Amino acid sequence: MTQRFLSHADLAALVAAHRRVIAPVRAKDDARQTDYLPIRALADAALGAALPRRSLKEFFLPPTEVLLSYRQTKEGVEIKEVPTQAQPQVILFASPCDAAALEVVDKVMDWEYRDELWFGRREATTIVGLLCSSMDSSCFCSAIGLGPDSPRGSDVLLTPVEGGYLAQVITPKGEALLAHCAAREASAAAVAQAETARQQARKKVENNAPAIPDGFAAWLEENFDHPVWRTMALRCHGCGACAGVCPTCHCFDIVDEHDSSDEGVRRRNWDSCQTAKFTLQASGHNPRQGQSERFRQRIQHKFSIYPKRFGEILCTGCGRCCRVCAGGMDLPEILGGLIALAKKGQGESGQ
Amino acid sequence: MPYDEKQQSDRPWSPKIVAFVCNWCTYTGADLAGTSRLKMDANVRVIRLACSSRVSPLFIIKAFERGADGVIVSGCHTGDCHYSTGNYYARRRFAILRDLLQFMGVDDDRVTFSWVSASEGNKWQEVVNETTARVRALGALHAPPQEKGGETP
Amino acid sequence: MKELQELAAKLLADGAVQVVLGYEEGPRGVRPAFITDPAQAGRLVFDARCVQNLATYLNPRRQHIVQLGKPAVVVKGCDARAIAGLVRERQIARESVVVIAVRCGGVLQRPEENAALSSETTAVRCAGCDAREPRLYDYILGELPPDPPVNASRAEQIAMLEKMTPAQRKGFWDEELSRCILCHACREACPMCFCVQCTAERALPQWIDPSPTLHASRAWQMMRVLHQAGRCVDCLECERACPEDIPLGLFARYISGAVEKRFGYKACDDPAAPAPLGVFSTEDGEEFIR
Repeated sequence: MTQRFLSHADLAALVAAHRRVIAPVRAKDDARQTDYLPIRALADAALGAALPRRSLKEFFLPPTEVLLSYRQTKEGVEIKEVPTQAQPQVILFASPCDAAALEVVDKVMDWEYRDELWFGRREATTIVGLLCSSMDSSCFCSAIGLGPDSPRGSDVLLTPVEGGYLAQVITPKGEALLAHCAAREASAAAVAQAETARQQARKKVENNAPAIPDGFAAWLEENFDHPVWRTMALRCHGCGACAGVCPTCHCFDIVDEHDSSDEGVRRRNWDSCQTAKFTLQASGHNPRQGQSERFRQRIQHKFSIYPKRFGEILCTGCGRCCRVCAGGMDLPEILGGLIALAKKGQGESGQ
Repeated sequence: MPYDEKQQSDRPWSPKIVAFVCNWCTYTGADLAGTSRLKMDANVRVIRLACSSRVSPLFIIKAFERGADGVIVSGCHTGDCHYSTGNYYARRRFAILRDLLQFMGVDDDRVTFSWVSASEGNKWQEVVNETTARVRALGALHAPPQEKGGETP
Repeated sequence: MKELQELAAKLLADGAVQVVLGYEEGPRGVRPAFITDPAQAGRLVFDARCVQNLATYLNPRRQHIVQLGKPAVVVKGCDARAIAGLVRERQIARESVVVIAVRCGGVLQRPEENAALSSETTAVRCAGCDAREPRLYDYILGELPPDPPVNASRAEQIAMLEKMTPAQRKGFWDEELSRCILCHACREACPMCFCVQCTAERALPQWIDPSPTLHASRAWQMMRVLHQAGRCVDCLECERACPEDIPLGLFARYISGAVEKRFGYKACDDPAAPAPLGVFSTEDGEEFIR
């Protein structure tokens, strides 16, 4: 991993040189919040502010997108595919939890079927991560094995130092991004400064939640019927807000929107396993009848099923689910409780 | 898609107005306007319902969604409802719907509520022509639906 | 507060109820609590951070809560209106729930900040509250605190919107609703949205497009607000639940105001009072009808 120094001016020039750059921007409705939005100049970006309300997911899997359009003719049905090649874009100051999430979701998007829309955008995007400084008590990235300085998912990772940024080049795409800019070799002082900043950042978040232990995924699977699930989700409204803001939730619903004429489109829309109708079958049977079953599914999928299938926890500890939850559900608390149960080795028999 | 782009590009724009009318009064009144050969703009598509109370605000929302530029809702005069009280309930509902449409920024002039009796063929003519003129002046309601989220490739 | 904790413990110990729905401390501030063990009643709290409307949890669809048994629920005056609404609309029987009302001095707009009540920190919904002394209750607790400072920002926002032209208002809502992802959190958090099948979930016919485009989001909000007219209790849980920070409370306030102006009806905690859109008067205004 080569380390370079980028001054503020270098970075501003880099932004100016690219047609589409997305970065955290102060929200218009609430100056304390930020959103990932297109920027025209480096000055538009908000630094050191709150974690953006929505994750980067929407730039690769939009809340709604057309998969194909169709038209009925006398000869049959004409299908028009959508292009899968995307416009190049740079995501600047991505939070490490958001960048890492993209690599985690890549696994399912390439499982048995390669999602060309997802990967079209992934291939066209260069991600410049930034050492996180906006952590709060809901963050728990280090418990998942990541951290505010994690390079996972970033093509270049920036750490603020005096006069600019230390830039770690992580992938060839990152190398290509910096190739045209005047980045110099980083000085020893900058390297040391960056290391201090990283250590300080890590300290702020490492005690927020206990680390996920080995064997947790297996414990969850074995304890599918544990009584703890029955009362865990009493306050959950089943609204799915958590899934909307989550960088790793990726479930979608497919609908056909048919006009009254002969044309229509097929779309996919964000969906959530927390909603009552998610598993409702045409027969009227719903295998996940109540919120207890649905919330159990959320935990099982993220911390047991996905790890078993892909070797990844389907969570990056960003804490958004905790911040938006109207019912006061708190994932670090829930994980802490489950981990404690797992460590005690209590299975079906215990309480 | 709710916006029929192809149709729009082929012909010059003319207001599309949907009218939800009650069977007993307004529909009969409209029929009278027709048999009396009263001159009316041909922009109104009439949907006949049993009573003005059958009109759910959803019909109006859906009509606008599906390409209507204006909507007329019409029934019997209060006191004359074929089902006695239907239009009294409807009146409350329409009042709130109108307030909400205003609050959302949908122009008042796009929605007309009226009581037209079975003998008021002339009044129906006026309602149709006035509404069409107002909506024509306001222009087309629709821009094509917008996509959200990341830029589509 | 001690009075509440003791009452809760007693109700549970006597078997009068099997679960007490109240408020407790959580990792991110106050959150709903479900106490089934009298020994746990000490977890219950009540202060200005208790913004949640617990009546939402009485929805008979929520089987995993219904299974716990007969509930007692801690309510503020505004929450009591929701219970009255549920009783009025035959979703729950009045005798199936024990209502523990607490005299309220207002709550915070941002409870996680735990500040003192001021004209900036008081919840917007407390402005104009006439229910600080709840009237629907089986037990009523607490001393009546003084009126909270008024946070007029919501009323000001509505006034500002009313002064705009229709095109400007549309522009305002276009911008706010463009963030809507049709997650329906507003519906799930609302105590008066209890339909087993929401109109938005119907496919035959489909009234509301399920895809989160601007026009569908607008249609959804209009539909929900219209279904709430005369029923909304102005608790603003919809706004609190929205993950996109859309000011849905503006709709709640506006529609409640419209119903009050036209029909003289304000959401109340008397289950016997009829819902305004379910009745009529021959004298209702029809100035808007040609």
